[in-house]
This record gives sequence, C-alpha cells and structure tokens, in this order.
Amino acid sequence: MQDKTQEKTKTQVLTREENELARRLRTADKPLTVAGTSIGRRDDPLKVTGKLKYGADYSAEGFLFGKILRSPHAHALIKSINVKKAQELEGVAAVLTAEDLPGRNGFGAIIPDQPVICGDKVRFVGDGVALVAAETETIAHQALKLIEVEYEPLPGIFDPRDAMAEDAPKIHEGGNILSDDKMVKGDVDAGFAEADVILERTYQVPFLEHAYLEPDTTMAIPQPDGVMLIEGPMQAPFTTRRNVAPVLGVPINQVRVRQIHMGGGFGGKEDSPIDLSCRAAVLAQATGRPVKITLEREEVTIQTAKRHPMIMELKVGVKKDGTLTAFQGVIYDEQGAYASLGPKIPPAGGSHVHAMVMMPGPYEIPNVKVDAYLLYTNHPYGGAMRGFGAPQVHIAHEQMMDELAAELGITAVDIREKNAFRLGSQTATGQVLSQSVGLRETLESCADRFKWDERLAATGWVDQAHTKRRGVGVAMGWYRTSIGTNGDGCGAAVHLHEDGSVLLYSGITEMGQGAFTVLPQICAEELGIMPEDVRLVKPDTDLVPESGPTVGSRSTTLMGNAIILAARQVKESLMDTASMMLMVPTERLDAKGRKIYDRENPDKSLDFAAVAARAMAAGKRMIGQGWWTPPVPSLDGHTGQGSPYHVYTYSTHMVQVVVDVETGEVELEDYVAAFDVGKAINPKALEGQIEGGVAMGLGYALMEEVVLVEGVTQNPSLQGYLVPTMLDVPDIQPVILEVTNELGPYGAKGIGEMPNIPATPAIINAIAQASNGRVRRLPADPERIFWAIKEAGGPPQD
Amino acid sequence: MSTVELSFKLNGREVSLSVAPDTLLVDLLREGLGLTGTKAGCREGECGACTVLLDGTPMNSCLLPAVKAQGREVTTIEGLEKTDGSLEPLQEAFMGEGAAQCGFCTPAMILTATALLKNNPDPDEGEIRHALSGVICRCTGYRKIVQAVQTAAKARS
Amino acid sequence: MALAFEKLHWHSKLEVAEYLVPASLTEALDMLASHGGKARVIAGGTDVIPELRSRKLDVSVLVDVSRLPDMDGIEADGDDIVIGGGVTHAAAAASPLIQDKASALATGCGWVGSPQIRNVATLAGNLVSGQPAADASVPLLALDAEVTIASAKGERVVPLSEFFLGLGQTALDPGREILTSIRFQALADNQGSAYLRLAKRKALNLPILVCAVKATADGGNIASAAIALGPVAPVPFRERAAEEFVAGKPATMETLTQAGETATATCNPRDSLLRGSCDYRTEMVKVFVRRGLTAALAQAGCTVK
Ligand SMILES: Cc1cc2nc3c(=O)[nH]c(=O)nc-3n(C[C@H](O)[C@H](O)[C@H](O)COP(=O)(O)OP(=O)(O)OC[C@H]3O[C@@H](n4cnc5c(N)ncnc54)[C@H](O)[C@@H]3O)c2cc1C
Repeated sequence: MQDKTQEKTKTQVLTREENELARRLRTADKPLTVAGTSIGRRDDPLKVTGKLKYGADYSAEGFLFGKILRSPHAHALIKSINVKKAQELEGVAAVLTAEDLPGRNGFGAIIPDQPVICGDKVRFVGDGVALVAAETETIAHQALKLIEVEYEPLPGIFDPRDAMAEDAPKIHEGGNILSDDKMVKGDVDAGFAEADVILERTYQVPFLEHAYLEPDTTMAIPQPDGVMLIEGPMQAPFTTRRNVAPVLGVPINQVRVRQIHMGGGFGGKEDSPIDLSCRAAVLAQATGRPVKITLEREEVTIQTAKRHPMIMELKVGVKKDGTLTAFQGVIYDEQGAYASLGPKIPPAGGSHVHAMVMMPGPYEIPNVKVDAYLLYTNHPYGGAMRGFGAPQVHIAHEQMMDELAAELGITAVDIREKNAFRLGSQTATGQVLSQSVGLRETLESCADRFKWDERLAATGWVDQAHTKRRGVGVAMGWYRTSIGTNGDGCGAAVHLHEDGSVLLYSGITEMGQGAFTVLPQICAEELGIMPEDVRLVKPDTDLVPESGPTVGSRSTTLMGNAIILAARQVKESLMDTASMMLMVPTERLDAKGRKIYDRENPDKSLDFAAVAARAMAAGKRMIGQGWWTPPVPSLDGHTGQGSPYHVYTYSTHMVQVVVDVETGEVELEDYVAAFDVGKAINPKALEGQIEGGVAMGLGYALMEEVVLVEGVTQNPSLQGYLVPTMLDVPDIQPVILEVTNELGPYGAKGIGEMPNIPATPAIINAIAQASNGRVRRLPADPERIFWAIKEAGGPPQD
Repeated sequence: MSTVELSFKLNGREVSLSVAPDTLLVDLLREGLGLTGTKAGCREGECGACTVLLDGTPMNSCLLPAVKAQGREVTTIEGLEKTDGSLEPLQEAFMGEGAAQCGFCTPAMILTATALLKNNPDPDEGEIRHALSGVICRCTGYRKIVQAVQTAAKARS
Repeated sequence: MALAFEKLHWHSKLEVAEYLVPASLTEALDMLASHGGKARVIAGGTDVIPELRSRKLDVSVLVDVSRLPDMDGIEADGDDIVIGGGVTHAAAAASPLIQDKASALATGCGWVGSPQIRNVATLAGNLVSGQPAADASVPLLALDAEVTIASAKGERVVPLSEFFLGLGQTALDPGREILTSIRFQALADNQGSAYLRLAKRKALNLPILVCAVKATADGGNIASAAIALGPVAPVPFRERAAEEFVAGKPATMETLTQAGETATATCNPRDSLLRGSCDYRTEMVKVFVRRGLTAALAQAGCTVK
C-alpha cells in the first residue's frame, strides 16, 4: 500500500436540505451511554429456551388448512378448470378459482401484476391456479389432486435476452420489457479514447434462494366485527395490508396485520407474505373461518421470490497508472414471471434502478454509460434479497477491477486505491458525496488487519506435489441507506408513563437482525433511561404508525431518527418539568442513567420517574410522535443523473483461500471485513450482521444456485439447494469504522445488507489470484473453477 | 387408522400416549405435546433445526418415527428448563456472545452442543464445528455460535 | 402429470398404516412374510422417511429392525471384520478396529450427511438403498465385502460384487429379506486403504465423486489394488481395468497416472445438473484414482516415486 495519507481532513459539504435535516437531529454533545454498547438481544431468553413463537408454532386448532394448486407449466393458457370433485370431498370447506374472487385479482409489492388465482393464463411453474381450504392438510392435498385443469401450453421464455426479441411471446400484455433505464455521465467514447487498456467482459449470476430457515406461514383470521386479521412472519406489514385490502375489496382500515417473529427473512419475507396473506384472506373470507397456509420447504423454493439473476456486460477503460477513464455496462436483469420488487418506483426505488446506480462501483469514473433492462421471463420471480440488485453488480465490477489490475500488472489494492470514492467524489449519477465517506479508511484498515502486503507476497504453491495454491482476494463495496422513493417516510411513537416507563411504537420488524434491541436502545439513549425501561410494541398495523417496510438497511437509521424525534417531544415535557423542580434553566439540563441533572452541578439531580410523575400531573405532553423522511431523492428518468440515495455505507473485504488446482475445490483460510457504518449502535449485533452476511456472500460465490430447466426448479429442497454449513465458513474478523453520518441517529448508517455484497467477489477474486481460474458465471463450484483454470492455460507455474 | 401405544421419558418425565403409526417425532412434540421449541425447517434432515436428543444423542426428529422413542429418553430444548428458572451455561453463553439471531436454529444448536460438551468437555474449534455441522444457521455465519460453545465449555470447567 | 403434481405439492405428513417393532429376527422375517412383500424394512429411516414424505415410496407397513438383538456388533473374526446389520455410520466411523483395519470405510462413514444422520443411519440401509455413490457402499465394495441376508426361507451370503443390480436395486428383496451382517478381510500390514470424496460443501452434501481404494504393496511394487468409484455408473463401480493395469507394476507416479487414464475408459458418469458434467467427473476420476492409490499405498508402507 502506498499513498496512505488521504484527505481525511476535507470538510463536509452538506446541501442546505441536508443541513436542515441534520440540525433537527443533532444532539447535545455528550458521550453516549446506552447507544454504542453491546447490550444483549431483548428476545434472547426466549430464543435459548425455545419459547419464542414463530408462525408455525401457533396452534392451528380450529383453523382450515389452505393449499395452493400450482401450475406445472411455465407458460400456458388455462382452457378450463373443474373443481366439482374437489368441492364434493368431505372436509373441504372451499375451493376457489379466479371467478370467485371478490376484489382485485392481483397483488405485488410495487405493481399488482400477480394474480391471486390465475384466471386465463399461467406464467411460471408454481403459479397458483386454485385455492383449497380443508379441515386437514391431507384432505386439502387430496382436494388439490381432484381439481381438473386443462392447459394450452405456450412457448416459454427462459433467457432474459430472448424476452427482448420482437417476436418473443408476450408474457404480460404490456410486453416483456418491464423497465428500460439509462445512466449517462460524460462521454464514454472520449473516455475509451483516453484509455491505455480496455477490457470487455460478461459476468453472469443465477437465481438465489433466501433459504431462511423458517418456511413461510400465514394466518388469516376473520374478526367478529368484520375486520380481517392477518398474522405471520413478514418484513412489510404495511405493504401486506395495502395488498390484502383491495384483494378482499375492503378499505385499508378493515385489514389488520400483525407481525410474528421471523425465522429469517433476508428480503424474502417482504413479498412472500403478501402472496400468502392475500390467498389465506380470500379463503378466510369465503369460509368465514380462520385459515392457515404453511409452505413446505420445497414449496418455498418453488413459489416465492428469489434474488434476480443478471447477465452483465462490461467494457471498461483504464490508464496505465490505473486511473479509470470510462465504464460502459449493460444489464439484462431477469425479473421472471411477476414484477415483485423489480420495477422502478420513481425516482430511484426498485431493485432494478438500484442495480443500475451501483453498477460502476464505488469509484470515481468521469465517463459512464449503463443500459439496464428489466425483463419478464417464465421463471420464478426476482424480489428483494439482501442487497437488492447490488450484490449482482458488485460481482461484475469487482471482478473487472481485478482483471484490469492484472492486465496492467498492478495489484488489486493499488487499482482500488487509485479510484475509490473519497469525500467530495462524484458518483456515476453525478451525486457529490457530501459526507460520511469512509471507503478508503476501510481499505486501509482491512489491509492492515489482514496484512495484505505480506500475504500477497506469500501466495503460491502450498504443497510440493503442486496440487494446491494459496491466494488472496479483495473486493470493495458500497450500499445505500434508504430506498430511493419519495415515500420513504418512517413513523414512531413514544409513550411516557408516570412511573418513568416507556412504550415505543414502531412498525419495523424483527427477523434476527436485532431491531427490537437496537430501537429501544436509541429511545433510551435519547431519554436518558435504560433500554429495559422501554418496552417495544410489536408491529401491528392497528397500533403502530406507518413505518414502511423493514428493508433497504433503513431500520436503524430512518426509524432511529423517527424515534429520536418522537422522544424529543416527551423529553421537552420532562425538561420543562425538571427545570421548575430544580430551578435550573432547561439548557443546562441533561438526562442519563434515569436521572435528570444540572450539567454544571451534577449533584443537583432528580429521578427520571419522579419527573415523569410530575409532568403527568401537570398535564404535560406524554406522547411523542416522530416522522422522518430522508432527503428527497432525485434521478433523472432519461440520464440517470441525480442524488438517488442520501448516504452510503462502505466496505472492503479480504480473504485468503487455497485452491486445489486439480479438482477445483476451495478452502477459505482467513477473512477480514472492514466497514464504515457511521456509528455502531450495538457493536455485537453489528458484528452478527457482518459475519452472517459474509457467510451468505460465500454461499453465493461457491455453491448457491436455483437450477431451472424449462422453468422447472430442479433443486427445491435443501438437499439440492446448498447453503454454507459450519464447516464451510471460516472465522470472519469484522473491523468496524465510524465515519459519522450527519443524517443518522448518533451518526449511524445502514448495515443489514452491505456485508454480503463484497464477500462474493472477494472470494472469486482470491480463487483467480490463487489459480488463474476466473469464474465469470456463478457459482464458482469446483467444476466451474476447474474449467476456468483449464481455460486460463493452467495455474501459475511459479 | 390404527394407533400405537407409546411410552417414553420426555424431558425427565414419563409420558404415555397413543399415536398414529406414521407420526413423526417432530410432529408429536410440536402438535401433540405443544413443545414448539423443536422446529421443522426442511423435513428431510438437511437443516437440523428439528434436532432433539434421543438417549442423549442428537438426531433429526423430522426423520424419526415417534414409535422409535418407545422406552427411550427424549430431550428437547424445553427439557433444559430448571425449576429455579436459571439457565444452562450454554444458554447463557448463546445470549452473552450474541449467538442467536433469528433464533430458529438456536434450540438445535444448543441441544447439539449439550451432547458435545457431555462427551467432550473441552472441545477445540474443529471439534465444535464438526459436532455442530448438522445444523444450518443462515443468519450468524457461525462464528458467535462457536464462541458461545467455547465460552460455555470454560464456564462449566 | 402425477409426478409433476407431487413435485410441486409437498406433504408434511406420511401415510403409513402400520408400524411394527419386532423383538427378534424371526419375528421380523415373519412380519415381512405375512405381508407378502408389501411391508418394508426401516432401520435408521434416513432414506425411507424422505421417500415416504415425497411419495416416491408407497408402502403401508414398516418393520423396524433397529431394535433387533445382536445386530450392532463390530468385531474381528479371525482375519475378518464383521459388522452387524444394525450398525450406524457413527459407530463405524468411531470404531478403532475399522479405523485401524479398514480406514477407507471409517472415512466414508464419517462423511455421511451430518452427525445427526450418522447417529441413526446404518451401513445396511446404505447398501440396500443401492445408490451409486453411497459413502459406505463404495468403500465396502473396494474391501470385497460380502453380506449375509436372512429371509423366512433361510440365510444366504452375497458378495457385494453381485449385490448391486441397478440404480436403487440390489439382490436383496426389500419386502422379504433382512441384511444381518457385513463381512470383509481386515487390512494386513502390507495393505492400505483410502477414501476420497469431492463435494460442493463440507457437510451434508451429496458427492460429485467418491473413490475408495484398497492396495496391497510388495516392496516398491503394487501387488494388487481394488478401486471403487461412484457415481460413474448406475451402481457403485469397481474399476477393474485400472486394477488390472496396476497389478504387479512399480509404485511410480507414472503408473498411477496411467491407471487414472485407464479408469476413464470404462467408467461412465452421467451429466448431472446438480452434481456435475460427465466431462468434469471423468477428469476427476483420473485425479482420484491417482490420489487414492497414492494414499492407500502410503498406508501400506509404500511411498510412490
Ligand atoms: C440429510 C441426509 C444426508 C445424507 N447424506 C448421505 C451421504 O452423505 N452419503 C450417503 O451415502 N448417504 C447419505 N444419506 C442417505 C442415508 O442416510 C444413507 O443411505 C443411510 O445409510 C441409510 O441408512 P438407514 O439406516 O437410515 O436406512 P433406512 O432409510 O432405514 O433404509 C434404507 C433402505 O434400506 C432398507 N434396509 C435398511 N436396513 C435394512 C436391513 N437391515 N435389511 C434389509 N433392508 C434394510 C430399507 O428397507 C430401505 O429400502 C443421507 C440422508 C439424509 C436424510
């Protein structure tokens, strides 16, 4: 590493809007006491004793079992459907087809283009053509078998590039191109003319399954007052409610959605619960009885959303010294059968636009052009999965950086150091990074901890027989906080009681990431009490304010801000009251450790509870409401220029591998992952996100792939769909850096998704560094590595 | 359909009941006996979330016909509960190390580790990883789980 | 169409009418006989239960042999090792006798599934399931094991070379017969064995390729070798051509490399979307035969030059 001194001193350059927002958040300059500490997770005692209830753990007594008849065809017209025999089976309460639906026959997180029950046509193997509710699971199953459906198969599309052909069969009426986006900055032709080296490469990634351990479950329970209660594990209760209501043909306030603790989500439980909830709800409405739908593992894989596959064509120009001059990219982003979370929500929402924006990587490049196509096919559909389009494009740009470095004969770290974002850099959308840019710091500390230079020098043969080679790899990454839509607001409420205890109302869900621990921590910090004084009210659309979905690494940051603002309102009551009680002006008061005290004379203090009681008695405001909307995003529809996301998290990963060059097997030996997170509100929970994210990125690199043949999933079970086991994941060393985000709670930025993003290309790069085998089509399983080494003419011979 | 009479020791207590012959242990525990700490994640032995101890040995309850429990001792996560409400060192360590995220694999991890520490009170990292390799965790990356088992081993000795 | 239906709609429950737990071998055989082939033996159940759940297997009666007496021994009998029909992979992998005198088998059993699976799954079940890359079957084939099969009519002994008939098919009638023991020669001092396995992850994984080798050294020469591979054919496969090629030859890298090449001529792995292409696995056969022989010879006290 040369050039270690960086311009860290360069000052922040916030816009006026950002400044105003930052001012609202700024806290008195006192050291944090609760935020920033690794308190244990709130629900841990329930988890380690097995008492925490997940969806399937709720008794289904009195419930009907709901089941879905799935299409065996990838693309076909439904000619006729006969449910008579199924209806006549004893124990069957309802058999529904499209004709029986009361309201809108469509759902979707962004566009309601997926039929609750297909009426005229099916678009993927697994599409729902009829619903059954029966007294037992076995009867429901038998009933499904008795339904007679006559199909007229249509030609299917299984490659997104085929979807663009003029004469391609139309999967949806509006055609197969769901979105066609562009990002243009500078002049790529001029940029290529300046380049000393230009490389063109194509990278390809498959469908991925979230493989959350808990299979999906939803319960729809009609209430005596006509309200439809939906309960289940889900990341987006409000989006679910927004879909169930029109499907039932009722106003939104007639649907109540309650979240049950999730056994993992990773973005997948953003839209599968919409699917199951709509279907359970129509069955419950038709029968007047509670209905439970639980998917078997194989059904989860077949039916629910996946990570989008992409084919990414890159052409990148670079000068001899490693300076990037031009980046041109084309993305064929495969949406599959339904829109799910792919399409654009202006200005910069939806996974597709996000992928486009992230595609050139966290590098300063003067000339950029990206064409991104989002295409329907007759495959399962792409939704959100931990990174929302970003993991895919990182796999492309981070491999390209290594390929360029190799071509130039410089190191993988040097080329990144040359181009990495710094404070004030301009991104490919023309956004000036005004604050909190710790990318270079992550590179530096990762290299230090990993001992990059030493390890790089020590790579080579491991054994005398020359069968195994050791190598190192690096990858960097960036990821937004927030989701790039205008409607990214987030609400919270804080209720203070006369004994000093607090109820916190938030619609952010818990799936293992620790939100139910971190959010009370923020509330307690702001009020000067302990986390255990704050009880969190679980997401329930009847009780908590609209908070948006728990996605986009937005929970801690956006909800954290909303909580701070809500807490401030009651804190004002407390401070006013304490000021009168202590005869000290409010500006001198602070709260900490359940005490409110005079900063200039800390002995002069009051118990928090006593002040709360007095405030209540005095009729002061005891309820705080907070609403936070991040800076308004922008992205020009034609040029892709603007400021789509207000702040980014940055990261560098380094890994050492050993490759068996005769078989293609890989062993991971060491792993260091450094992050600029703004502020670690709960370092231990954060480490957990990092370690788990890296493991997931490892799966993407080495083994994960939903294998499809003519639209049929070949590996629906966990026997065929492989995720890393305890023996596959090395000890991951997290490095946490804090470059304050002026617009986050105590400086925090989002972290949920970032960790798995650079992990995949870091590993792929290490394999190539070790063996010459560069795998441009994932996963890099032993076979692909083997052939890649062959294609490269064998491993390095030194 | 016929039923089978079954008696076995469950978490230290004798139970006798009749079950359908094709009942799987995971369903008997969860649906029949309300012990939902045992999870069904894949129903084919690939995820390990359904792990229980049969005579002290970890097994996938999703692959075990309930009849196989006849006359034997079944321990589920609920069986670690003590009357005074205190927790086992492993449970404490899982909390202390942050080894549980979504928590779905946690009961299985703790039970499997319980069996390991009984046979091998001072396992090294490799032994821990091998012993626990039959339970998939999708959240943690496993590091904190390994650390928790190490911490518990120290606390016990 | 029916199959397509089962592949898209899954069950949590099984459908089996009777579950019988015999107390003796005779009783077990009687139970099987009285159901005229409609009953099925269950041991650990790790193959049977998933097949019942996916409705691949359709039987109405299960006969549980896991509690039969005298089925869980692992013993030396003269020069032989005898393994009971109820022995689990965990027991076999942990047995000092097998580790010492049949290490390929200990290694293979130690690879099966996960600890949870190995704690219940049996070697007998592994054999009877008749899968070409089964982790106990392949080393047992290289060890020239034979199995004892009991039925209401009596007992018979079948060498493994005649046991595997096709994918999922063996010489044992699963509705009428019970495998009671497995027997093979313990390794002598001038013999060694090895088991190699290639997979996409390190636990809970179906192998891309496995290879078991038993080698007998004669000074610096290879006296003889047994090489078993899977899945390169519908059944666990003995690589006779390579065995013949190495017999009597000096233990040099050249010999072993050529043995690998020879092996590719006779084995025939399928193209599999999940496990790997024929071309790749053919390449791996070369590597594994060479490496397997090297390791087995090393154990036999013969260093390959
Ligand atoms: C998650 C998982 C992972 C696995 N991984 C592996 C692996 O890595 N490698 C591998 O080789 N296998 C693997 N298997 C398959 C399986 O575990 C093995 O084949 C195992 O050895 C089967 O033994 P069992 O006792 O469970 O057999 P069962 O399922 O009880 O029986 C299997 C077959 O054998 C018959 N049978 C059993 N015992 C007898 C007997 N004594 N006499 C006559 N017939 C009998 C049964 O009727 C049935 O046809 C895996 C299975 C699972 C569920």
